[in-house]
Amino acid sequence: MNRYEMIYIIDTGLEETARKELIEKVSALIAANGGEIEKVDETWGKRRLAYAINYKTEGWYVLVNFKAPAELPRELERNLQINENVLRYLVVKLEEKRSGVKPRAARPAPVAEEAAAPAEEAAPAEEAAPVEEAAAPAEEAAPAEAE
Amino acid sequence: MSEDRGERRPRPRGGRRPRRKVCSFCVDKIEYIDYKDINRLRRFVNERGKILPRRMSGNCAKHQRQLSEAIKRARAIALMPYTVD
Repeated sequence: MNRYEMIYIIDTGLEETARKELIEKVSALIAANGGEIEKVDETWGKRRLAYAINYKTEGWYVLVNFKAPAELPRELERNLQINENVLRYLVVKLEEKRSGVKPRAARPAPVAEEAAAPAEEAAPAEEAAPVEEAAAPAEEAAPAEAE
Repeated sequence: MSEDRGERRPRPRGGRRPRRKVCSFCVDKIEYIDYKDINRLRRFVNERGKILPRRMSGNCAKHQRQLSEAIKRARAIALMPYTVD
């Protein structure tokens, strides 16, 4: 089972009951093929499209989160493709690692190292710093004189 | 390393020093760039709708890849334009 996120756009010409029916049908399709719906979100609802699709400038956005076996998106996309009232769809697989803990664990280590480093290298750093500082003003001064 | 690079480059006459840009996604600690977050994505396209190059946005390589993917997804479902004219 993978986690997926799907967005599809329904034609706003469709009246509310028919729209509800369509959303219901899509949800049923997911459930019938071994999927498990986590959330159906219509909070976006009617939205202006960034560009016209089939000469339509508005669409009804529906966001669905679901868990499903890997074969389901193909079947789902086939069905959405057939339906004339669906203007666009996008099924995206959600990577588990993104919600997991792995990437975070690596971060605290370098911070600890940095904190320890200045104490040890205090002497060499002081020696090196003035040289760099001396070089920088010289560079800055040169163009000013040239002009 | 980064300091060296900044100093070696000859400064353009009279121009201001190119400030080192930092990746805004790294600053905000974003692991996954959401294609639905168009307000954020919109900052990384120019007025024609083209994706800004890394040298302009200052993003790190990792986030620039994610960003371009996210923008392309957003375009596919008409959240963002392919072109503005």
